[in-house]
Amino acid sequence: MADYEERRSLLGDGDEGSSAGRRTAGRPMWAICDPSHLLHRVVVLLFMCFLGFGSYFCYDNPAALQTQVIQDLNLNTAKFMQLYAWYSWPNVVLCFFGGFLLDRVFGIRLGTIIFSLFVCVGQVIFAAGALVNHFWLMEAGRFVFGIGGESLAVAQNTYAVNWFKGKELNLVFGLQLSMARVGSTVNMNIMGWVYSKVVDLVGSPGHTALGASLLIAAVTCLFSLICALVLAFLDKRAEKILHKEEGKTGEVVKLTDVKDFPITLWLIFIICVGYYVAIFPFIGLGQVFFIEKFNFSPAEARAVNSIVYIISAPASPVLGLMVDKTGRNVVWVIIAVVFTLAAHMMLAFTFWNPWIAMSLLGVSYSLLACALWPMVAFVVPEHQLGTAYGFMQSIQNLGLALIAMAAGSILDNRGYLVLEVFFCTCICIALMAVVLLYFVDYLRGGDLNRSAAARAKLQKEATSAAE
Amino acid sequence: MAAAGKKCSGVLFLFLLFSLFSLSQSLLSDSRKVNWSQFVERNHSGSLKVEPESSILYSSALVFSRLLEYDDVNDTADPISDLFPPYELQDFIWSRFNLSGPSALLCGAAANFTNGSLCLQLSAFESEGRGQSWPRLLHTANSSQVRVWLDGVLPRASRSRFLLELKAVGGVYPLSRVEVHRSIDDEFTPSIFQVSQWVPTENASSADLGFVQWKPVAYRQSNPALEDATPCRHSDPRPQSGEAAAAASGLIRAFYAEPETFGMNVSFGLAGEPFYNSTKFLSWTLLVGSGSPPVDSFSPLVVSVMAVGLGTPMILLLLGGVFVLPAEEGAASATYEPIN
Repeated sequence: MADYEERRSLLGDGDEGSSAGRRTAGRPMWAICDPSHLLHRVVVLLFMCFLGFGSYFCYDNPAALQTQVIQDLNLNTAKFMQLYAWYSWPNVVLCFFGGFLLDRVFGIRLGTIIFSLFVCVGQVIFAAGALVNHFWLMEAGRFVFGIGGESLAVAQNTYAVNWFKGKELNLVFGLQLSMARVGSTVNMNIMGWVYSKVVDLVGSPGHTALGASLLIAAVTCLFSLICALVLAFLDKRAEKILHKEEGKTGEVVKLTDVKDFPITLWLIFIICVGYYVAIFPFIGLGQVFFIEKFNFSPAEARAVNSIVYIISAPASPVLGLMVDKTGRNVVWVIIAVVFTLAAHMMLAFTFWNPWIAMSLLGVSYSLLACALWPMVAFVVPEHQLGTAYGFMQSIQNLGLALIAMAAGSILDNRGYLVLEVFFCTCICIALMAVVLLYFVDYLRGGDLNRSAAARAKLQKEATSAAE
Repeated sequence: MAAAGKKCSGVLFLFLLFSLFSLSQSLLSDSRKVNWSQFVERNHSGSLKVEPESSILYSSALVFSRLLEYDDVNDTADPISDLFPPYELQDFIWSRFNLSGPSALLCGAAANFTNGSLCLQLSAFESEGRGQSWPRLLHTANSSQVRVWLDGVLPRASRSRFLLELKAVGGVYPLSRVEVHRSIDDEFTPSIFQVSQWVPTENASSADLGFVQWKPVAYRQSNPALEDATPCRHSDPRPQSGEAAAAASGLIRAFYAEPETFGMNVSFGLAGEPFYNSTKFLSWTLLVGSGSPPVDSFSPLVVSVMAVGLGTPMILLLLGGVFVLPAEEGAASATYEPIN
């Protein structure tokens, strides 16, 4: 899933859209019911974190059940990867409108409920498609699921910005991101067991057992929907008690801004696409790769496949702090890309224990997210930020959709080595882009690669000059 | 069938009982002599001769002796139990030998097959190359490819799986062990990272080697997709009496006096894989030859893509380092210095 979370957490203190609350006079409340009290906000934080759990859990259901999906529905790998492609297609367009829909059309509360509903309904349609053995219905389910999934992340962040501010906000974003990763990890490790238990219940493996397992997974989406409803209620209540405004994403998207994007931004886009298409489709196909090449058992294969997410949960905040403190984002991106290339080459050309390569992949994936997304803010002015991020997410989803299909096709015809070489090529393209970025940035004064101290000094000079 | 070594223009003979020969010969001319009356009687060895006899450097044979079937009730793919009575290939009724170019096709059915058949296709080669369809084994001029398949044979249980029994006969160093090599390259046989080779013991010199090579995969469709691959396992080759091999094959009886024999089973399907009943088709390919088994290598596509992919960033880095950095060394970066 796109790393909306990660880039938000590193934009610094989110001051958009929140306003201080005032206590109403003369109405004593329990601390937990008082919207301005920390305890109440912790409760709200809990609901906020679980808001995204369902969609992250169900996003990787196909990967966790790859063998079962392919066997029970008689698919080939290319068709299997369509399940991922259809998730990404709506987000090619929706990334531009998510903020607009949440701010102007629905409002944050109703918008969150609507997107949660899409996630829930999408997963149910997906499960139903498996139950009646119609693949087109499963693809439709993933499409509906995709409409809700990414936009829900935007809503989750808007809630966070509305309820927390200052230094707390970084912690909240970190927690939300970690919860998301926990959801993915739990999915990878648990769905296989759920499926085997359902098979015992149903009698034999097949599309019915698969549909039932996916329906059980949909319970997490229902849970997220309940969280959305509770959050809406608490937010409305807080608005009444504290007289604060409804939260806004604050994103303005103007597509005409695209012509003003500097070359460095386009290079950042290329890095983003080239990098993420070698991660998510790979994890989607990873389980069977580890079973076939390294002779892992299915449970072991799922565990090693999920290590990327497990590592990224604690590593993202730590690495984010490190990048914040040291600056030099371009160098970190180069390091992350090189490590990822090394990991893919290890998996392709050696029989070394894949735990090593996958751990390396997990660390470099977290590092790249912490270093790449903030660079956008250094390169475009603030009023174009919404458009820039929307565009970045949009082409990321476009790349994921296309490459997911290509990966499935390559695997069906030429096997895993050629697939890994293909992923290495994508990373090499990202590497070329980041090398070019380094030199272009160097020629232009080195804005992107400044150390944190130098950047802070510049900012101080800029604000003092403005006064 | 007899497959001739590289220097012979081979004529393929078919005998009723199915055997494969590998011969290495040093001279261009050869002749095979068959004493038909003795051959049919199957009492004496020596009814098949290659003359001059001193020209034979190496010979060995591979016999497909039995097709076994077992009922995998608990889906464990363990062939020890529940074996049905085996089909002896020597008792099959074989069709006419169908020769087309360098390959020969032979199909046969057991007496108690209601329909369906077991077919074998032997292909001889003049030069190095690769098979057209999966598993796309690499072959040399010293080897022949045999494709065995079961088509439409009705299984005796709904959860049947099959085994094929092979015997390797003769040779100075008989094929006594199976080596399994891991390979990182699955380009030509997607998702298969191993090659199995049935080879002689280790202290044989290279001139006296023969081999049987295969990839541990069988396919459940005649035009298979990746999902139709089913893994196969082999048992350890065990020494058997030459008499049993000779009894199974008239060609063996005719050519060999008292050959050393090793027998091995190849079983198709693992626990959890679909049963034979799902498609009623099973095909397996192997390579038989003399000398050392061929070794696979990367295709030019993979090598060139990796070279370009890794090389271009390096070149960019180098060019940048040479042109960009020195140019900027002189000019100081223009940061605005506050006046006070």
